[in-house]
Amino acid sequence: MLNLRTTLRRIKITRRHISALYITGDKANENYVTLQPFLDFTDTFRDKTELERSIARRWLDVNLDAVLSKYHKYQSHQGELLRLDEERESVTKQLKVLAKSCQEVEEAVVQQLKERGKKLRNDVKILKQTIYPIEDDFIHDFLNLPNLLHSQCPSGQEETLLYRHALPENARKKGPSHLEREDLIHFVDNNRYYMMDQAAHFDVNAMQALARYFVTKGDFIQTANPDFARCVLLEANATPLEHYHLVKEEHLQNKLNTAFLTGGGSFESYLGAMTKLCVYPSVLPLRYVCCGRSYSRAESHQYGSLSSLYTATQTNAVQCFIATQTSNQADEQLEHVLNLAIDFYKALDVPFRIVYAPATSLTSAESLRAVVEVYAPSLQRYISVGRISNYGNYVSKRILFSTRRGKEYDFLHLIGGPVLYTSRLIAALLEHGIQLEKCRLLGSANGQLKTTLQNDIQQFKELFK
Amino acid sequence: MKLLMNVQRRLWLLRRQRSTTSTIAKAHDNESSEPALTNTQLDELERNVTLRQHKNNIPLIRSLLTEVRKGNQQKQQELQAEIEQLPNSTHPRLLNYGNEPRELAQYKHRQLDSEASKKEFSELARSLNLYRMDHLGNYTGHKSYYLTGQLAMLEQAIIQFALQSVTKHGFKLMSVPDILPPEVIESCGMRTEGERTQVYKLDTGECLSGTSEMALAGYFARKHLSEEQLPLKVTAVSRCYRAETSGLQEEKGIYRVHQFTKVEMFAICSPQQSEAELEEFKNIEVTLFKELGLNFRLLDMPPCELGAPAYQKYDIEAWMPGRQMWGEISSCSNCTDYQAKRLDIKYKRKSDDQLLHAHTINGTATAIPRLLIALLESYQNGDIIEIPKVLRPFMDDQKVITKNKRIPETKLVKFIKSNH
Repeated sequence: MLNLRTTLRRIKITRRHISALYITGDKANENYVTLQPFLDFTDTFRDKTELERSIARRWLDVNLDAVLSKYHKYQSHQGELLRLDEERESVTKQLKVLAKSCQEVEEAVVQQLKERGKKLRNDVKILKQTIYPIEDDFIHDFLNLPNLLHSQCPSGQEETLLYRHALPENARKKGPSHLEREDLIHFVDNNRYYMMDQAAHFDVNAMQALARYFVTKGDFIQTANPDFARCVLLEANATPLEHYHLVKEEHLQNKLNTAFLTGGGSFESYLGAMTKLCVYPSVLPLRYVCCGRSYSRAESHQYGSLSSLYTATQTNAVQCFIATQTSNQADEQLEHVLNLAIDFYKALDVPFRIVYAPATSLTSAESLRAVVEVYAPSLQRYISVGRISNYGNYVSKRILFSTRRGKEYDFLHLIGGPVLYTSRLIAALLEHGIQLEKCRLLGSANGQLKTTLQNDIQQFKELFK
Repeated sequence: MKLLMNVQRRLWLLRRQRSTTSTIAKAHDNESSEPALTNTQLDELERNVTLRQHKNNIPLIRSLLTEVRKGNQQKQQELQAEIEQLPNSTHPRLLNYGNEPRELAQYKHRQLDSEASKKEFSELARSLNLYRMDHLGNYTGHKSYYLTGQLAMLEQAIIQFALQSVTKHGFKLMSVPDILPPEVIESCGMRTEGERTQVYKLDTGECLSGTSEMALAGYFARKHLSEEQLPLKVTAVSRCYRAETSGLQEEKGIYRVHQFTKVEMFAICSPQQSEAELEEFKNIEVTLFKELGLNFRLLDMPPCELGAPAYQKYDIEAWMPGRQMWGEISSCSNCTDYQAKRLDIKYKRKSDDQLLHAHTINGTATAIPRLLIALLESYQNGDIIEIPKVLRPFMDDQKVITKNKRIPETKLVKFIKSNH
């Protein structure tokens, strides 16, 4: 049932024909073109079998043959347009040569060429008008094609286990819900909840600690990111728009490119800084991590019909973002992130596991997704508290994030995702009866202790002044 | 009748500030008997509205009142809405301030040599490769910004430092929602409709919070507390969303932005406690900025700068040597019962068990962007920036901020030709 729902949702998405990411010439007058994605037809259609497999395993309603036939139609029209353009250029050249030549030229020849030029101009104009809907139809289908799947992505419909720490005690017995802890949590609805005392402290401290752990142990660069991402970024990342709240803006210049409330702790928020960016290979791999909010509605339907911290939209998050030059380096970096995440969750000593999600759960941009899952006693199942995905160079091509190799552009391979959603982790820890104030947070600032100690010593000294 | 009683309450506060005037004394007599709104009382309200340079809707209220008194009940709702737009009363101390704030103190903690050579924040942060704000409008929105490297770490250090300070003063930390129903925001004295609204709306009809004061006040809505619980002091770290924009040169860069992180203080107290509590908020803020080693001044704000909810308000402005100007980095307000009435926050008076409206106080512990401006501009020393001593423990004891060479510089391509 769930999968059917997912499939239906996907079908709905693939039917969108308005896009901020690709605007054809006839619509460019009303809509400002902010970004022209690199459309890699050659590479995309190179391995038709793999692409078909990716579509099938993701349960996408995409008919690759139909897309290819649209491609051929588009190509033949583009070829015709090119031919007309070349002929027009040749006529213009001939006219220039004749005008410069000293010989007397027959007026009729010049006139004939001019007439030919005019006709060609009109033909180009007419052909362009014919091509726009064809281009629109094909390019949008093309942009809806998914990434290829990574070799490690599970072939079946189930996730594959990668790592497990501690098994849940009494997995057969349903535990009390975290919402019973009214001293710590006041839950109103999926958009609104409050946390108090130790839960609130953990909410800030866990986020800061993990980010710091990535900086100190993982050699990441910390950032602070904006909370809105415009439609063009969501489309580039193949994020279903219903995953985020739309922000209404009073003076929206580009009606197609609306803003969405993603939160600074979202992957899409990083894409803003990477769009059109060309970096030197010396900065690669580029490893970023940030603390911030995340307001994703994506997974809320998965965790039961009752709303709780597991289904809430807002959470504090730690997001990582890595860019590498090759796919092998990307694989290494994904492993690097997973190792850091394992360290962090192991120190909390909560039953958790890391799995690779099946292809049906992935967005079209992801080739592989590793999910950090903590056992939730009230739901008697594992719930996602973080995930790290491999995007290959699928997203980079769309946002033009590259490095130069001679005269060529290499599109960067991206790894990223939220490695921690604090609200869900807090809920699970409480359900396990773990005292939040006693949790060992890797990366937390020893400085805090030191300052408290220093302050206490200072106060003690002042007693004798 | 309920709305009239609301106005009566406002009038009572006004009377406190002008208790000598005979007209008010007369009105006071009315309060105990028939709660009818007299012309004198309306005049008093109008004086307050004018003093605060608030939109004068008293003529409209007068005409609506006449309609309602004639029995036109349809106008009742409109009248209620107009009355709710009225500002709080004003602290008597401020009545002769005019339109200018009064400087109460200046605190100098840093000797700034040759101010002329001091760089402005954007220039400084860009040259150290710690910040980006250009070419982002089409992707992450107007005036959006990224902080990178040590500057991003400094943000988190400031949050930890502020939390440590305020929790020591008895403030309990709460995690708060940033998405709120419009009613909560309106009840805090912020309009969510109209051309110049500062509030972002979502497709669901909900709004983005402009400050966690709204979420915190909303949390206590319809709560009835005991007097022993007061003052109840809470703090929150949240993202603040403001639709306001500015084209002013002195507000360029991250001075006025649509999104930022803030540590907020909020208290619920009894009417007897609120003035002293505001002083405590002010003192905490002063201590925070003293410890951060900033040069700043404390201002007592005039009536026209109070907005609708505040009865009195202090602002703290830091000297920003790169900009060569004072910039507001913090404020605190006593909203008396303005928010409590709208949100039904009450407490039970110990002496007679009577349920009374509480008073609310709010104040900024640290608002990140402007604090970063003040810190970087004040602590710059050539190509490096010294990290204030109190923040070092939260930054692995790093002492200085230097140029980040690992972060790629912003080199953008316009277009990469696709292979057709």
